[in-house]
Amino acid sequence: MSKKQRVAAAIAEQLASCGVKLVTSLPDNWINTLLATVDADERFDHVAVNREESAIALCAGAYMGGVGSVALMGASGFMTVVYAVTKINYTYEIPVLIFVTLRGAFGDYQKGHASNGLYLEPVLKAINMPYKIIDKEEDIPEIAKIYKHTKAVFRPAVIALTRDLLS
Amino acid sequence: MKYLECFKFLASKRQDELVVTSAGNSNQAWWAATHDTRSSFYLGASMSLSTMFASGLAFARPEVKVWAFMGDGALSMNTGMLFVERQMNLPNLTHFLVSNGCYGGTGNADLPSREVRNDYVAIARAIGLERVFSFDSIAALEDGFDEAVNGNRSGHTFVVLEVERFSEEEEKGLGLSPMDGPEMKYRFGRRIEELTGADIFGYRV
Repeated sequence: MSKKQRVAAAIAEQLASCGVKLVTSLPDNWINTLLATVDADERFDHVAVNREESAIALCAGAYMGGVGSVALMGASGFMTVVYAVTKINYTYEIPVLIFVTLRGAFGDYQKGHASNGLYLEPVLKAINMPYKIIDKEEDIPEIAKIYKHTKAVFRPAVIALTRDLLS
Repeated sequence: MKYLECFKFLASKRQDELVVTSAGNSNQAWWAATHDTRSSFYLGASMSLSTMFASGLAFARPEVKVWAFMGDGALSMNTGMLFVERQMNLPNLTHFLVSNGCYGGTGNADLPSREVRNDYVAIARAIGLERVFSFDSIAALEDGFDEAVNGNRSGHTFVVLEVERFSEEEEKGLGLSPMDGPEMKYRFGRRIEELTGADIFGYRV
């Protein structure tokens, strides 16, 4: 098993341990192994969506039906969901756990992600979104803690996965 | 057909369905037609996401029928949602597309394609949706409602309702649900708990 597969499996275990059933996603190269892992895992229903806002709304609806869910997306995708999160999750106090990639951080040499390096974290802070950067395998168990926290406080939260973790 | 007459007809046919409305006129019209405060989620704080929200709900609760309203303004903003609906193909979800050719929630501003009458049935079929219906009069809706909405089905249903725009005078009389966000969440969630036995808010750490 490669490191990518090991990390993806560990994240999937965390999700399953929380009772997550619905996994919604839009891809990013860094999380393709994770997406393939949850897609192949019968504990989850994986729904690939057309845009990240659709993932946010799907998860909110699933929450209202009593089913656990998460949204997986790239950093650029998160930059497009500020409207959906602040409208749906903040207005109605509906929790959701969102995974993003920490694109544009040091070590990401894709010039197209420079804007994410500059603005992703400032945007998270600007909308008072609690977030946790997970950079090491030993920190993956934090996922369950953060998922449960979203449920306890009826708020969304973000987990940002780094290149070092996912590569 | 008249927007409010259409919604009043739908309200008269509703049984235990959960309803999700969209930002704009469908919020107002469903409230005016029903004054429902338990089994309807007025998703006013969203543009173009009501059917995705409803899809999540219908996925989570397959034993419950879900109706979702959305205007064609919202569809214009997120047409790709139909790909997701086709993929999920939820037999307990009916997507009502309310077509009036405008952004009704913002003063009836025209859609970008105002020169052309959009063929939403053709769009839905091209995307691969199979149970697609369209009604442009109350009489047609009365005739076809049961087949479209209550008929045997193995997958998702998409219903186009061709309606007239609200006039300013009509819109003034509609009102809005008085519930704020958390109140609506709890009322709706408690109703689902009652209907299904599901534990919506009782997550224990």
